[in-house]
Amino acid sequence: MNAPLTLAHYMTLAGLLFLIGVFGALTRRNIIGILMSIELMFNAANINLAAFDRFLHPQGVTGQALALFVMTVAAAEIVVGLALLLAIYRGADTVYAEDFNLLKG
Amino acid sequence: MNNLRLLMPETVLATLALVVAFVDLVLPARKSRVLYHLGWLSAAGVLGWVALTMGDSSAHGTGTLWAADPFSQFFKMTTLLTCALCLLLGLDYAELPDSGAGTFSALMLLSTAGLMYLVSATDLLLVFVALELVSISSFILAGFERRNPKSNEGSMKYFLFGAFSSAIMVFGISLYYGATGTTKLAAAGAVPGPMLILALVLILLGFGFKASLAPMHFWVPDAYEGAPTPVTTFLSVAPKLATFAAIARVFGAIFPLQTYDLTLLVSIIAALTMTAGNFTAMFQTDVKRLLAYSSIAQAGYLLIGLAAGSPLGREGVMLYSFVYVAMNVGAFAVVQAVGSAKGSYDLSAFDGLYKRRLGLALALMFCLLSLAGIPPLAGFIGKMVIFSSAVQAGQWWLAVVGVLNSCVSVYYYFAIAHRMFFKEPSDDSAIPVGAYVCGGVAVAVVGVLLFGVHPEPLLAGVRASAKMLP
Repeated sequence: MNAPLTLAHYMTLAGLLFLIGVFGALTRRNIIGILMSIELMFNAANINLAAFDRFLHPQGVTGQALALFVMTVAAAEIVVGLALLLAIYRGADTVYAEDFNLLKG
Repeated sequence: MNNLRLLMPETVLATLALVVAFVDLVLPARKSRVLYHLGWLSAAGVLGWVALTMGDSSAHGTGTLWAADPFSQFFKMTTLLTCALCLLLGLDYAELPDSGAGTFSALMLLSTAGLMYLVSATDLLLVFVALELVSISSFILAGFERRNPKSNEGSMKYFLFGAFSSAIMVFGISLYYGATGTTKLAAAGAVPGPMLILALVLILLGFGFKASLAPMHFWVPDAYEGAPTPVTTFLSVAPKLATFAAIARVFGAIFPLQTYDLTLLVSIIAALTMTAGNFTAMFQTDVKRLLAYSSIAQAGYLLIGLAAGSPLGREGVMLYSFVYVAMNVGAFAVVQAVGSAKGSYDLSAFDGLYKRRLGLALALMFCLLSLAGIPPLAGFIGKMVIFSSAVQAGQWWLAVVGVLNSCVSVYYYFAIAHRMFFKEPSDDSAIPVGAYVCGGVAVAVVGVLLFGVHPEPLLAGVRASAKMLP
């Protein structure tokens, strides 16, 4: 009942989160939903990094440092994404991906 | 932080970018065009600096997360050259508001600085941060025409694909860290297990997005069509080439493809990229989309050199990269001049161009023939070295696919040439050409012709700078 959590548990969680993120990013119609799915993928990587640090390389901090970088950069990226979305929403009045069809060929 | 001085050029460039952004705040709006000049002069200045220290061994070495070697300096030079030329093109691009000049130049310079960090990176942490610096700046640049819904849409698609692929790459990096215990690329005790191979494949996919390789190329036409033409020019050249440099460093020198059984995967990606690019380009009616697909195909040719995995292949990639700057910037510069004059980038805008501006028509023809790989132009030399490296590595099927693809590409490149020289223009008025576009086109055409008929200096230069530090 009280079996300790092992690396495999964390990696499974991260793998599942990543796959959910990929699935969501590919199938969501709402841009906000796609952005949230992409965040899930980033967080899956962060769980992996922290878990590897704890279980495989307990003397190092590279994984945690990298996770901090990932969080910061992902935040910066999302800011730009939301700004672009706002610019589109002002013009096209929609946040649904299938309505963006000016460009095709 | 060992040897931070090796990154001086890019750090100075990033500082200059911030200076440009700051000057924008204090400069009166009617003078903002000065900032374009400040931008391209900064890029050109740093370009001169890197070029002068090229042979200087004190500028080479390895640091904590980076290495400066002749190989990375070569790609820094191509990136800086592209940036300077594209900022020059921006001066003659009327759709860009003058009030945005500071932001525009600063973002271009930051993006270039990111690419320079990328080609020097020997640690996945720096690779990731540098790629994101490039991505975030170019998302904004692609959507710079805020009032143009196409520009907005293109940059949104670019952003979604970009964020998706960087998430994939980060997951790959996390697995890499788990498998090796470090984010350094030169991981001494790395054993080729399934986790490491999965990590390398995910990292390759992340790179593939930036370099517009086949399964990750869907954003390219939309982003290129929507983006302001100088930005399209920049995106189609600089990030692509710098990413190839990074791929060459990761998968050429440190994780040889052969050791990890990835050669076949990379060869298939190369073949797919060429074929997808060329066969879709044939059906395009918008010239920016056509050149976007053509640039996908060109990425496929470049990847052949990396799939070969030999020193000759790497030299071929470097040679073709340098030539590619000239021919693609030249082609896009002409497209910008014609497109701005006509207000449309439809292929029919090129009807009878020779009557309206003979110089532009000839310049575009030279660039297109070079892209198609017709001798004696520069593109031919580059393709020849790349294809022969594939043959030398025993991958003759890849060389055959490459040659067949070049033949297909001749069709759509000639379709433009046909329109320029054999169709009647809808109106005979001369197309206005700005001084800066004129300069950009001249530099490009001289490059395409000169390196085509007299390639020895370039070949020697490439051979001298193919050296890579671990």
